Amino acid sequence: MPEILRLTNIQKKFGGIKALKGVNFDLQEGEIHALLGENGAGKSTLIKIITGVYQANEGDIFIENKKTTIESPIAARKQGIGVIYQELSLIESLTVGENIFLGNEPVSKVLGKYNRDKMYQESLKYLEKFGIKIDPKESVHNLRMGQKRIIEIVKALALDAKILLLDEPTTGMSAKEIDTLFEIMDSLRKKKVTMIYISHYLDEVFRVCDRATVFRNGEKINTFNVGETNTDELVKAMIGKNVQLDKVVATKDFSAKDTVLKVENYKTNIMKEKISFEVKESEILGVTGIIGAGKSELATSLFGAAGDFKGSFFINGKSEKINSTIKAKNLHMAFIPEDRKSEGLFLEDTIEENTLRANIDLIEKKSHLLDKALQTKLATKIAKELELSPLDVKMKTKNLSGGNQQKVVIAKWLIGVPQIIIMDEPTRGIDVGAKSEIYNQIRKLSDLGKTTIVMSSEYNELLRVCDRILVLRLGKVVGELYPNKTSTQEILALSLGGN
Amino acid sequence: MVLENFNSQKFKKLIKSEWGLLAILLILSMIFSLLTDSFASFNNMMNITRQVSIVLIISIGMLCVLLNGEIDLSVGSTAALAGVGCAISLNATGSILFAILTTLVISIILGSINGLLTVYGKIPSFIVTLSSMWIFRGIALVWTGGRSVSGLPRSFSFLGAGHIGIIPTSTILCTIFILIAYFYIHKTKHGVYIKSIGANEEASKLSAIPIKKYKLITFILAGVMSGIGGMITTSKLLSAQAIACEGMEMDVLAAVILGGASLSGGVGTVIGTVLGALIIGVINNGMNQLGISAFYQQIVKGLIIIIAVLIRRNKNK
Repeated sequence: MPEILRLTNIQKKFGGIKALKGVNFDLQEGEIHALLGENGAGKSTLIKIITGVYQANEGDIFIENKKTTIESPIAARKQGIGVIYQELSLIESLTVGENIFLGNEPVSKVLGKYNRDKMYQESLKYLEKFGIKIDPKESVHNLRMGQKRIIEIVKALALDAKILLLDEPTTGMSAKEIDTLFEIMDSLRKKKVTMIYISHYLDEVFRVCDRATVFRNGEKINTFNVGETNTDELVKAMIGKNVQLDKVVATKDFSAKDTVLKVENYKTNIMKEKISFEVKESEILGVTGIIGAGKSELATSLFGAAGDFKGSFFINGKSEKINSTIKAKNLHMAFIPEDRKSEGLFLEDTIEENTLRANIDLIEKKSHLLDKALQTKLATKIAKELELSPLDVKMKTKNLSGGNQQKVVIAKWLIGVPQIIIMDEPTRGIDVGAKSEIYNQIRKLSDLGKTTIVMSSEYNELLRVCDRILVLRLGKVVGELYPNKTSTQEILALSLGGN
Repeated sequence: MVLENFNSQKFKKLIKSEWGLLAILLILSMIFSLLTDSFASFNNMMNITRQVSIVLIISIGMLCVLLNGEIDLSVGSTAALAGVGCAISLNATGSILFAILTTLVISIILGSINGLLTVYGKIPSFIVTLSSMWIFRGIALVWTGGRSVSGLPRSFSFLGAGHIGIIPTSTILCTIFILIAYFYIHKTKHGVYIKSIGANEEASKLSAIPIKKYKLITFILAGVMSGIGGMITTSKLLSAQAIACEGMEMDVLAAVILGGASLSGGVGTVIGTVLGALIIGVINNGMNQLGISAFYQQIVKGLIIIIAVLIRRNKNK
């Protein structure tokens, strides 16, 4: 097979951090090539370089053996590279046909009038070519998730894409829609369209892909022929070495402790089965699973901020209906959200203002005016405890590093002395040093008798901070593990649903 | 070179703060003082504060709503309907106290309607208040039959046209409201919450801030401030008209936005709003003194607002 794309020695730096450390990568015409790796492994950076979103600091790109540059997404499209992003980019209020030809509308020669008849004929031709039974005059608004994804693919093909990038294309699709997608991918492969496939589901990789390249810490580990490898080998390549056992939390006996939180028959719309579990006083429970497993939904609904779900929560043995964040706070719960910038902080406000935001009553005087001096005092005290640096509570939080920002979000809740703390991805996007500081803080909370639930997709993190780990897959508990009796490989294999 | 750079950075920052607005106000005042004899007199200064007092009182309510990330286009209609209610109840009872109470009750109800429809009806406030702008105005027209309500007792004109010592009563009232608003918005929990919700609603929700309650509060505040504005208008004219304060929402928005508030919420100050209203007041007054035709006045007013916002805008946004 001829080579269609080759990358040599690609390097990409963000600030001082190397996201890609000299990666070589090649694509053969007509293959489906999977990119695998944990979060932060470097696969999204590589994709963004191929699609012209980022420019590599070093290295060369060859398309059909000709050296080239891809300076923008538009340039990428002109060179025949189409992308189907995880978030849909269709315009809901337009029809299927209008979307397929968006920006590429057939116009009549004389007055430049939009030739709709021609557009619908062409759309129909494309749709029929791949055996898709969708009316081009249908509004995209009325389509199901899977159908929309397929329309995105058709849209890319209408622009004569030679290379298609599919980022988690099966998200939100039904089993039947996935079958259709794979059939389409198969027929595209026969038409010599080359595809890069990104997925967290290894079973999908084994179903459709020809080769798979594994990334870890910004490096390419290896490229495998899918027919000649197995789940174990891929998982091992993704994880690397196991963490040293001395860092792992020893199993403790919590049977004598009180049950602080009990969840019974919890289920959201996306989940397949009900789950139940309980957490004891001073215990740190880890909840993990790949994207779509339901862990974020569980975190937000425990804190009264989610949409529809079924199930009951018991706090200190009492059944509670948590229907608002205010109720959750009154039950002495705290929530550290996944995206600290958009959900945790008021970026234009200072550290001290953010610290008091959820517990402003602490500084309200009898006259209802706020005691700003007390605010500074309280914020400084907790900032010291959390080892915030620099220790300047008058700084705007937008100017802080990720680790310090996360500490401010934690401070915001600790100041109110919560009993149950729920953390969703507490160290996402934080450098290694700050990570271990956050871990120490979490362990300290447990020493103070607080109950903590950590939702995380970083397996090393779970082994380092949690007393017990629940693994979810498609909303089902597939494993209950103890850090010193398991490994990152076992957690990943359970999450991915391998053997 | 480095020093120059530093200074220009500092200067830009200064211009973007309230000091920039104060500078614009002073420069405009200086220009008008030089061009006319009458502008710089004490009487004219008092006159300007009296002229802007109604816009300014309503602007305080609008500022709260904008800080909250919402908008209230019905302020002018609310002022008219509350003003009509005030006059009718004053004629019926002869009691000024009762008239004030009627005004407050009406404006609380109107503000609540806007707030409830936005918060619980989940309709964007722009649409809710665009509709209620017509509805409230319509109710005022139906209630009065389109005729002005006159025959009010002379003593009532004290609020809008009277003086305490040498200072107009409405200027004093307005100053009191500004002080209360300053402490309310910048020094209390309510102010912090109102701004938080406008700045980041999701983070506010996850910080256990009662969003619905505070949205409702700001719409009621906007209603009450508009009602008080309407009452002072009625007092000033010693009669109430259903068409009073027409277009007021635009004057008020101009003052608040010129004062640095953001239409997307979370940003804005009481001092900025006061300066914004005064700038517009000075422009209106000065051009009248100069005898500039009303046709040109509109053009100049629009231009000055655009220039002022251009100078102070944040290029990053």
